[in-house]
Amino acid sequence: MSKILVADDSKVMRQIVVRTLRQAGYSGHDVIEAENGRVCLEKALAESPDLILSDWNMPEMNGIDCLSALRGSGNQTPFGFVTSEGSEEMRARAASAGALFLIAKPFTAETFQEHLGGLL
Amino acid sequence: MTVTTQPSGPELADVHAIVEQVWSSFLGDEEPLLPRYADAAEEGTPAFPAEHVWSAAVSVHGGWTGTVTVELSSSVAQSLTRLMLAMEDEPLDDAEVADAVGELVNMIGGNIKSLMPGPSALTLPVVAAGRAAHSSELAEVARFDAMWNGEPVRISVHAPQS
Repeated sequence: MSKILVADDSKVMRQIVVRTLRQAGYSGHDVIEAENGRVCLEKALAESPDLILSDWNMPEMNGIDCLSALRGSGNQTPFGFVTSEGSEEMRARAASAGALFLIAKPFTAETFQEHLGGLL
Repeated sequence: MTVTTQPSGPELADVHAIVEQVWSSFLGDEEPLLPRYADAAEEGTPAFPAEHVWSAAVSVHGGWTGTVTVELSSSVAQSLTRLMLAMEDEPLDDAEVADAVGELVNMIGGNIKSLMPGPSALTLPVVAAGRAAHSSELAEVARFDAMWNGEPVRISVHAPQS
C-alpha cells in the first residue's frame, strides 16, 4: 500500500481527486491531505508519502514553491500537479522545478491512469 | 505603424467550450447546460432570473489581464456542490457551497488564462452570496448565459477598457 499526499486549498477538489484516484483503480492507498503548500511541505517531510498530487494556486505557499522547497531540501518524492492551468508555460515551469507531470482540471480517471501508471 | 494592444478577451465560442467541458466533467451529462440567448427585445444586459444567487470571480494579471466571473442561482450552486461532493440528501453548509463555486470559477478561469497570451498569474477565487460586482474600469468582453435544470448560469469575462 502506498501513501499519497493530496494538496489543494479546496476541500471539494481534494475529495474529487481522492474519488478520481479510486475510479482510476488506485483504491486502498493511504491518502493524507494538505490545505496549502506549507502544510504539504511539512507533511511531505514528516510523513514520507510515495506520491504528492498538488494544486498550483494555494494560499500561504503555492505548489511550485512547495516543490522547490522540497527539492531544495534534497527530498525527491514523486510530485505531480493537478491544477486548472495547463498552458505550455506552466507545464515547462512545473517540469523544470522537478514535477513529473501536470494534470489540468477538469480531468478524468483515464487522465490519472495515463500519468500514475507505474508510479503506484 | 503597428500598435500592439492586449486582446480584449477570449472568443465566446472558447468560453462556451471551456464551460461545457468543466461542467460535463464534474456534473455529468444527464442534465445538459442549455445556452440561453438574449431576447432581441431586451436592451443591454439581459435579466438574470433568480432571487438567490452565488457568484465567484478570479482575476488574471500579466500578458492578458481580466476577470472571470461565474453567477449561479442558489439552487444550481447547491446542486453542483452535491454533485461535486457526491452527496445526496445530507444538509450542505455555506462553506461547502462557497468552496464548490470557487473551484468552478478557478477551473474556468484557469482554462481561459491558458488561452490568452502569457505569462500571467491567476488569483485565488473570491466567492460571495449575491450578484457579482465589477469595477467601472473593466468592460464586459464575453458573456455566456445558460440554463441548467431551469435555473440561470452566467459566465462573464471583463477586461480593462482600451
